[in-house]
Amino acid sequence: MAAVDVWVRAGAVTEPDEWMGMAHFLEHMIFKGTDRLPPGAFDWAIENYGGMTNAATSYDYAHFFITTASQHFEATLPYLAELLLNAKIPDEEFEREREVVLEEILQSYDNPDWIGFQALSELVYQRHPYGRPILGTEDSLMGRSPAEMRQFHRTHYQPETMTVVVVGDIPYNQAVDLVSRTFTPFATRSSCPVYMADAEPPITTVRRQELHLPRAEQARLMLAWIGPGVDSPLHNLDAQLQDAYGLDVLSVLLTEGRTSRLVRELREERNLVQGISSGFSLQRESGLFTITAWLEPENLERVEAIICDRLSELSALPVSPAELARCQRLLCNDHAFSTETPSQLAGLYGYYSVIADPTVAATYPQRIRAIQPEDLQRLASYYLSPYHYAATIIRPA
Amino acid sequence: MNLISVDSYSHHIHRMVLDNGIVVLVKHNPAADIIAARLFIRAGSQWETTAQAGLSHLLSAVMTKGTDRLSSLEIAEAVESVGASLGSDSTTDYFLVSLKTVSADFATMLKLAGELLRSPSIPEHELELEQRLTLQAIRSQQEQPFTVAFDQLRQMMYANHPYALSNLGTEATVAQLQRDDLLQYHQTHFRPDHLVISVCGRIQPAEVLSLVQEVFGDWAVPSQPVPPLNLPALERFPTRRAIAQATQQTIVMLGYLAPAIPRPELQASDTFSAETSFPAAYSLEEYIALKLLSSYLSNGLSSRLFVELREKRGLAYEVSGFYPTRLHPAQFVVYMGTAPENTETALTSLQAEVDRLRHHPLEPQEIQTAKNKLLGQYALGKQTNAQIAQIFGWYETIGLGIEFDQQFQAAVSEISAEVAQAVAQRYLVQPYVSLVGPADWVLPFVQ
Repeated sequence: MAAVDVWVRAGAVTEPDEWMGMAHFLEHMIFKGTDRLPPGAFDWAIENYGGMTNAATSYDYAHFFITTASQHFEATLPYLAELLLNAKIPDEEFEREREVVLEEILQSYDNPDWIGFQALSELVYQRHPYGRPILGTEDSLMGRSPAEMRQFHRTHYQPETMTVVVVGDIPYNQAVDLVSRTFTPFATRSSCPVYMADAEPPITTVRRQELHLPRAEQARLMLAWIGPGVDSPLHNLDAQLQDAYGLDVLSVLLTEGRTSRLVRELREERNLVQGISSGFSLQRESGLFTITAWLEPENLERVEAIICDRLSELSALPVSPAELARCQRLLCNDHAFSTETPSQLAGLYGYYSVIADPTVAATYPQRIRAIQPEDLQRLASYYLSPYHYAATIIRPA
Repeated sequence: MNLISVDSYSHHIHRMVLDNGIVVLVKHNPAADIIAARLFIRAGSQWETTAQAGLSHLLSAVMTKGTDRLSSLEIAEAVESVGASLGSDSTTDYFLVSLKTVSADFATMLKLAGELLRSPSIPEHELELEQRLTLQAIRSQQEQPFTVAFDQLRQMMYANHPYALSNLGTEATVAQLQRDDLLQYHQTHFRPDHLVISVCGRIQPAEVLSLVQEVFGDWAVPSQPVPPLNLPALERFPTRRAIAQATQQTIVMLGYLAPAIPRPELQASDTFSAETSFPAAYSLEEYIALKLLSSYLSNGLSSRLFVELREKRGLAYEVSGFYPTRLHPAQFVVYMGTAPENTETALTSLQAEVDRLRHHPLEPQEIQTAKNKLLGQYALGKQTNAQIAQIFGWYETIGLGIEFDQQFQAAVSEISAEVAQAVAQRYLVQPYVSLVGPADWVLPFVQ
């Protein structure tokens, strides 16, 4: 098997507020072809070779990938280059595909977890685009034109924003040669309005918001803290990554597996939640640490108080070497388990290439193993304050 | 050594049978320092009575929560301290224990899996906890319009057959389940001659065999045979039903009763006489033809439904379908989520796309692309150690044998457009229709 994954630094953060949803909508429109490839020709070609293709958009990036048997790598890669560099964005396809994106938005609003997470992001990021919906809104999408999308594409899909990752049974020189020949020439540069960064007010209290959803069958408690981003005016990449990975360890310690602190106490012993999970999402400009519990509404206050108390404990007392070792081993094995296939590896290298540097990917296990109990104590106390956080609560109406 | 046969097939799968009936499949894959194992028991929710729906799922939830020797926490510590994964699960057609480890921990984890599988203690308080969590899970499933629509479709198509219900069961049945029910089910179905152990990773077949021998070799076959499976006959009475909910989108879902996986030994209970009864004898050709048609309609960005209903008409973000491989008659389903005002258009166009398969043979190019896609996706689904262990173990468990891997691919290549059309005319006639959405938009279709 061979995987090609093209990562472009053209995610939702590049949009000015009025262009919200453009990056994601463009990702859909890329598949609508070029002067040489009519709509659908790309999908048909890749799938007729027995391959699969898809794409995704986040705040920091959009990426487009193909997986095929290795012998079809040479035949399929040029199609992807053609799409990405020469997207035509035809007017009539723009209007039709907008209907599809509007359906995607409707579908998200039938999902209470999505609604809750979106509300939580808005609560955390009051100015930064990380608080906006990646999909945009009906209003924002209706306000934009195909010409503006072509402008956005020609501004942001350029060599310096793009990483082409190839993983598989392909000789190195052949891959480099094919990418160099096909990913050229790029479209004439354009420019378009950019997002103007505004200082984000820090969270200095508990920002709280309650939503009542008639179709929800259970309550959710969703808590968030701002964590380290990759880009920092004060610290180098190593320091930022060390903090980020420390928060990965804390997340495992809190909610990964039945022996983790919160699952054991809240689900297994006290039966206060149906489930609880947490995670640290590493992004360029700011990371986000979240804890989400699914529970009966009558347990909301109690569970929130217990979580805050357990976070205080983390900053007051060092974790035991055995508990730390469990978390480190779990993360290192998960890393191994999620790098088995060419497409998983291509995704990992592409992600790091967009947010930092692809060589970082290989250093993950050693960085995780270097973390000490006192690091976790410092991180908990610095980032996970039981007094300053955002809380979105969903109640079944 | 109690070994009675060693065979090697394509893909270098080693197949071995212990004298107590356990089938061991091993694929040595040294690429990564990972070993995945799947332990299949020939059980699943097909064996539940209607009143006991959810029984096998509940057993899977408590199986890892206690043995005669270990508490729930001790088991979790043993697994999590080495960063392994070990879990159990139940489907309609089989019960499964899965594990994944780095190579050095495999022996320890396989021993633990053996202990869980053979002697779960099912502590009362763990059972109560998992029972309560299951009841909550049944309720929260109702938050997803797709699940509501699919539950409704399943009940329409399967009536009092075990395939009618989600494997979680219903609130009424789960609340009534007792520890004795679980023990009884375990005692009946968990036996060495109903066990398939499939392993893939950095380990040699001989080593797996000696480990399995050590963990399971002394497990004797009970003298009692498993009682025959008596399933109710399926009737084909396509109807329409709707559930009114204040959702953003309507879910439109069409289902057709379709062939089970063809097996040499067909169970007696699968044969019927009534006119409306669903036929019980299927050929491999029928099964393969419907796999191909499902792939043609629903698989990927170039699939017929995606191109016609999404790309050309913008009716949906998600429009797709599935035809799962099952021991008993399966469902051929197509569905989409769409804005409520499109409900009628969605229903008409989904139905028209399926009808088209009966009225026109696929063009040569269409059927060739559908084959390339189906075979390509099939190959993409055998990349990780866990995927490989799963697919071969499953083929062995449901009676197809590991050779089915090759047979399937050969049979797909051979299907003609005429055969596919004839099979569509036999099975894709009148759909069961399930709708979920705002009352004003869905109720008119069932009145």
